[in-house]
Amino acid sequence: MSNFNSDDLKPFADLARSFAARELAGKVAEHDRYPFGEFYEDVLKKIYEVGFLNAALPVELGGAGFGISALCEILMNLSEADASPAGIIFTQALSQKILMAAEAGKLMVTLSAGDTAVNTGLIAFPIYANPASTDTLPVAQNIGGDYTLTGRIELLALGNLARQAIIPARTGQGPGFSFFLVDIDGKGAEKSEPVFTLGFHACPAVDVTFQGASVQLVGEENAGPVYFKQVQPQMNAAAVAISSGILRGTYSEALAYAQRREQGGRPIVQWSEVAMMLADLSIKADVAAMCVCQSCLELEQKQSGYESRVCAAALHVSALACEATVDGVQILGGYGYMKDYGQEKRYRDARMVQALLGSVPIKKLAMIRRISEIDTNSI
Amino acid sequence: MLTRSEVASMLSRFPKFEDSCIGLPYAPQMPKHMVKETREVIAIARKFNEEVAKPLALKIDRRTHEDPDFLPWELIEEANRWGFYTMWVPKIFGGQGYNMPSSSFFLEEVASACAGIANVIGVHYLAVAGLVASGNARISKRVLREVIDGEKSGKPCLLALATTEPGAGTDVEEVDLLDKGRVTCTARRVEGGYIVNGTKVFISMGHVSTWTVLSAYEDVRRPSETNIGFAVKTGASGFSFGGHENKMGQRACPASVLIFEDCFIPDDQVIMSAALVKKYSSQPNRDISQHYIDYVVSATRPGVCAFGTGVARGAFETALQYASSTEVNGRLLINQEWAQCLLAEMHKNVLLGRLAYTEANNANSLRGLYRILQIKPVYQYLRFMPHIWFDKVISPFLDLGVTSKVMGKLYFDHAKPEDQRCCSGWASVAKFAGTDLGVKNCQMAIELMGQRGLRQDAGAEKLLRDIKLLQIYEGTNQLNRLNAFKCLIAPAVPQANVFEE
Repeated sequence: MSNFNSDDLKPFADLARSFAARELAGKVAEHDRYPFGEFYEDVLKKIYEVGFLNAALPVELGGAGFGISALCEILMNLSEADASPAGIIFTQALSQKILMAAEAGKLMVTLSAGDTAVNTGLIAFPIYANPASTDTLPVAQNIGGDYTLTGRIELLALGNLARQAIIPARTGQGPGFSFFLVDIDGKGAEKSEPVFTLGFHACPAVDVTFQGASVQLVGEENAGPVYFKQVQPQMNAAAVAISSGILRGTYSEALAYAQRREQGGRPIVQWSEVAMMLADLSIKADVAAMCVCQSCLELEQKQSGYESRVCAAALHVSALACEATVDGVQILGGYGYMKDYGQEKRYRDARMVQALLGSVPIKKLAMIRRISEIDTNSI
Repeated sequence: MLTRSEVASMLSRFPKFEDSCIGLPYAPQMPKHMVKETREVIAIARKFNEEVAKPLALKIDRRTHEDPDFLPWELIEEANRWGFYTMWVPKIFGGQGYNMPSSSFFLEEVASACAGIANVIGVHYLAVAGLVASGNARISKRVLREVIDGEKSGKPCLLALATTEPGAGTDVEEVDLLDKGRVTCTARRVEGGYIVNGTKVFISMGHVSTWTVLSAYEDVRRPSETNIGFAVKTGASGFSFGGHENKMGQRACPASVLIFEDCFIPDDQVIMSAALVKKYSSQPNRDISQHYIDYVVSATRPGVCAFGTGVARGAFETALQYASSTEVNGRLLINQEWAQCLLAEMHKNVLLGRLAYTEANNANSLRGLYRILQIKPVYQYLRFMPHIWFDKVISPFLDLGVTSKVMGKLYFDHAKPEDQRCCSGWASVAKFAGTDLGVKNCQMAIELMGQRGLRQDAGAEKLLRDIKLLQIYEGTNQLNRLNAFKCLIAPAVPQANVFEE
């Protein structure tokens, strides 16, 4: 059931749900084996073919031109089955939105010109950090109008799959930073093996060390914070959608299990303590879905302070997902802890989503600082 | 001031003083040397962490992801060399006989480095508890002797406990649920023993154990009355292993599926049965089963609390190290107030967890399974008498039927219900308190560390994976809450019923 209750968005929900049923259901544990098993290239190709990978990109730039609500609908429905593909779409959307914010969207067209391979169009991004609160960014040197990059970037999502990445780097002494487009397969860039992470195994990340890599400035120098701030609300809404999907998946799997598993001679759904836990999961899933709707509405209406409200939704719903997945595993008992079921993966993925765009405490502090700067009364 | 009877009357009201403040009356009764012994145990654990557990923790975790069938033999052999599999085996059975509560401190220490490695040691004692709490001195001696010999020969002999079945997890933790549940592991009486059929799941260390303490049922329609315990040796005909369970965390400690197909187990490997119980007790087998479960979980659940406390501490220490070395907005996190408060909160959780398992162990020492061993003269006797005395003089008595009868009578007929309730209730409280606090700390560490916390090589994410299992095994935390209610609250409320919803 779509939580948007909108005919306009139903096709996107149906598309994502049928994709999840066809390509993800029953194979989640197998896909999650990476980097110790095969990467699901075939699924990535299908994600691209169905248009999810460029969902947020305007039609004139070769994308599907979906709005944020449609993107959220897709992310939510995919994440109900498996959040890793949603992580891939999130990364790609974030890269694309940064380029568009810097009015450099056409770069994407040139990147993939004449090549229809999926990986050519992928753009890696360090999705788990807010560059504005990262003290150790790489440094870009401007030598006669050409930039070279030195330093290290950690957890560059899709870094082992993509040829290009958008990397934040400092160009001077101050706190500002700029974004650069980098050929991470090129000279001066060295990638690690895929990093073994808590979750999102099928949305892999690598560490990259740069030593004089030639890079291309994206937009204006030192305008990184402006571009990042501009895309943050949309990407926060996307994060809300992924968390919401994880919550829905957690609840539905727990409910189904509780209805068929018997202990003490009756289905455990009839144990009132389990019923209470299920009710809490249901409440959290519904509240999360409402937060997705409201976040999208906020983005459309752009009323004063909407950025903070969407950020609040992301923080709140990701925390709900972290709490709920603890109970989601618990209801399945020992089975919930095993990789044969989806719950343990949701428990891990929920924390990956919570860390998107920076750590929780730093996001909270930044949010309250922003609110204080704009309007003290709105706190 | 109040008269003595008024004081007694006031203190017997709910919450009863004697059920709520265990440490206070226990303190003067505790043999002094236990403190010294515990300090030594903690120091040994810390040395083991530095030399073995910390260097191996992440490597083994990664290795088990690369090869899901990996078994940690080298680690087991190392733990065996350190003497960890006999440290808490009572001296009368040939072990080192360290005081039992000290094992919780040990487990906290090792779990702070790796819960999986702690479990590689701790699970053995779960089965030791299952064996010794039966009161069957003869089979306990036989099995534990092999453990001692395994330490001497360098070929580890470990024990595993097998109760959980595919359709019965929570059911096997409570007699009230057992009869309503769906146990399927059967034991059929035949000449000279029993034929066992059934499957056990989620059995920690199953694949690498030499002996399995197994529970089966002569009549699965009346399991609490026909419960029968065995010691079965790996390699016995009809006993085989299924695959490894593919767990989220604690991967250093393999979990196994155990399959019994017409497995013959001779009479001399029966630990406990209705027929054996009849020899020393007139109580129904159902009550004995509940006593037995209470003894085992009263001894083991504080240990799970210690695991949880250890993981909580691992999370705290990882977060502390991160905050001490990471600058955000030009300042070390450790110097930012919010981070200081968060670290104080995490430290508080560790301290509370330790208090919880200490108090649960105090209950066992004052009123439960450890009571006899910690009566001062008995403790000193066991401490000072040389091993050879137990081996040559005491040991032969353990083979006599009368010894098992006396132990059984002592364990089951002489145990006061209110003492068992107190111990079981406190063990449950400690179990769900320590493991819930552990989950909280791991979550806080992950949040604090942001992207750094997501990496396996940084340690925090493994803690988060490891801790979750502790809320599930040894009875889910929900079951333990119900048991705490049953043991500590319901006796004061006549209209309260538990497990009868």
